[in-house]
Amino acid sequence: MAERRTDVDAMWDSLDRQLEQIPLDLEQERDAFYSQSDYDVYQLHYTGLDGYRLFSWLSVPLSANGPVPALLRMPDYGSVHDIVYTPLRAAAVVMNPTHRGQRHSDAQFQAEYPGLLTEGIDRLQTFVMMRVFADALRAVDVLLAQPLAQVGPVALTGQGLGGALSLFTAARRPRITSVAADTPLALGHPEVLDHELSYPLDELNDYLQVYPHRREAILASTAPLDPLAAAPKVQVPVLLSLGSRDRGLCPLPIGEQLAARLPDCDLRVYDGGSEGGGHPHSVVREAWLRERMGLD
Amino acid sequence: MADQKDLDAFVTQVTRPDDFEEFWERILAGLAEIPLEPRIAPETMRSNADVDVSRVYYRSLDGIEISGWYCVPTQGDGPFPAVIRFPGYKGEPGMRRDWGRKEVVSLTVAVRGKLGSNADFNPGYPGLLTHGIEGRDTYGYKGVISDCVRGIDFLLSRPEVDPQRIFASGSSQGGGLTLITSALRPEIKGGVAGYPFLCCYPESMRMLRSYPYDELSCYARANPDRVEGMLETLRYYDAVNFAPGIKCPMVVGIALEDEVCPPGTSYAAYQALTGPKELWLFPYSGHGNAHEYPAKETAWLEQQISKSQTGGSNG
Repeated sequence: MAERRTDVDAMWDSLDRQLEQIPLDLEQERDAFYSQSDYDVYQLHYTGLDGYRLFSWLSVPLSANGPVPALLRMPDYGSVHDIVYTPLRAAAVVMNPTHRGQRHSDAQFQAEYPGLLTEGIDRLQTFVMMRVFADALRAVDVLLAQPLAQVGPVALTGQGLGGALSLFTAARRPRITSVAADTPLALGHPEVLDHELSYPLDELNDYLQVYPHRREAILASTAPLDPLAAAPKVQVPVLLSLGSRDRGLCPLPIGEQLAARLPDCDLRVYDGGSEGGGHPHSVVREAWLRERMGLD
Repeated sequence: MADQKDLDAFVTQVTRPDDFEEFWERILAGLAEIPLEPRIAPETMRSNADVDVSRVYYRSLDGIEISGWYCVPTQGDGPFPAVIRFPGYKGEPGMRRDWGRKEVVSLTVAVRGKLGSNADFNPGYPGLLTHGIEGRDTYGYKGVISDCVRGIDFLLSRPEVDPQRIFASGSSQGGGLTLITSALRPEIKGGVAGYPFLCCYPESMRMLRSYPYDELSCYARANPDRVEGMLETLRYYDAVNFAPGIKCPMVVGIALEDEVCPPGTSYAAYQALTGPKELWLFPYSGHGNAHEYPAKETAWLEQQISKSQTGGSNG
């Protein structure tokens, strides 16, 4: 049965067409300081929506010969994205892209924490988080276009905002082959404001405290980012972790709805909060990714 | 996974410089000469019926202005006990409004380099760990530690804070800074140092290939002629060397699967404590993610606060 196109799909299609019109203007520089004996580290700079210059770390294994599996770790909700450090870097291309407002991608806009989540939220056209999601799409385009390594299967991973960006991007980029999402940020879910929240989602309540009449506007602006809306379009295997007491990123009832809507989901629920399983799950995730990326 | 036997077997080669105390006394004396110039900017959007939230500012080493989140209870009679929270290495410190609901003042410090405190010092992330590491007087952490010390001065300047009931906490870099600041400022009456970073640098950089400690290895590889100087600088900034100076009750929390701050290095800091101390081990947890840790930390601090005596107002 043909999938029904929605207004949200049309909006993202339009945004993708805008991205296609913008040259990447990719610059890459090997970082001799952080490169190691078994992989090289690069700093990438490229152009995203609205002409913003964006930054990413990229590591390329020196053993690369032919297509190499790639892992793209989407950024968390915070001002800094890590330099590449996963053990998978020895055998896979690893990319850690930042979004606008984070360090190294903050020439035109510096995000505030708390604050980013509601920046321009009263109108879809001004809502910065929409652009943040577009930056995630752009990162995949850069990964596939960079000349430093030929990329094979592409896995996405991330926690919180990074988890949501991973699911959303997998729904719109067919080259993605697997996703490991931890406690994906439930921004945009219509029920999120009905839960007792902690940061970062509680930023929505802070905003509503000052602008109580804008509740509907918030729901309208964030709806395109609802991970549940993207879920049915994620046609690749997903490893999803949730914390049973998470109130800041993905409250359990919403996470369970999300899992039910993902066509191929391996759900792991842990006793805890937004850390989504912590160390025990990091072991599960690494093994799961190795298998999906063909690194075993 | 590390176990108690591994912890006991860990022996650090870190030694305290002979002039360690003189070095830090000189820095503290210099800091005392700098006007604090505290400012408070209310944050209406973040405040609620229980807590008034503000962004606060004060001057620290080299005259750099440092910011922080300040939460003051709207209920109850002050002066209130206070909890100062020190930040991790990356990211931004969050506010702790939950303390306000418990009638406790909270200050979270954005040390230099963090958003709000990076106009005049911005080494980047990664980068801070090796910034100015060529000498003990140029090292970036001289300023970072000073910013934490001045956070205590900010609290002492506030009439709503009970100067006899100031407590400290932090995880990772914040854990290391909790140990260090508690040694430098006896006004801190108890602290919780979770997964402490800034411990046993020589061993940490050898044991790991994860950041931030790997920044030191990268520096060593790029500057082989400066390794000796780097290690000499770090002796003045190792939390293990501060630990014997801490007189207040202190908790050290260690995750036995920690791949960012090796468990043995945190345990070395715990062993070096000479005052009342408590050890929390989290066998199946990695760095910063023991799910029971936040509630445990809050409960311990609440217990210390309730045991403490009211000492009167600053005002």
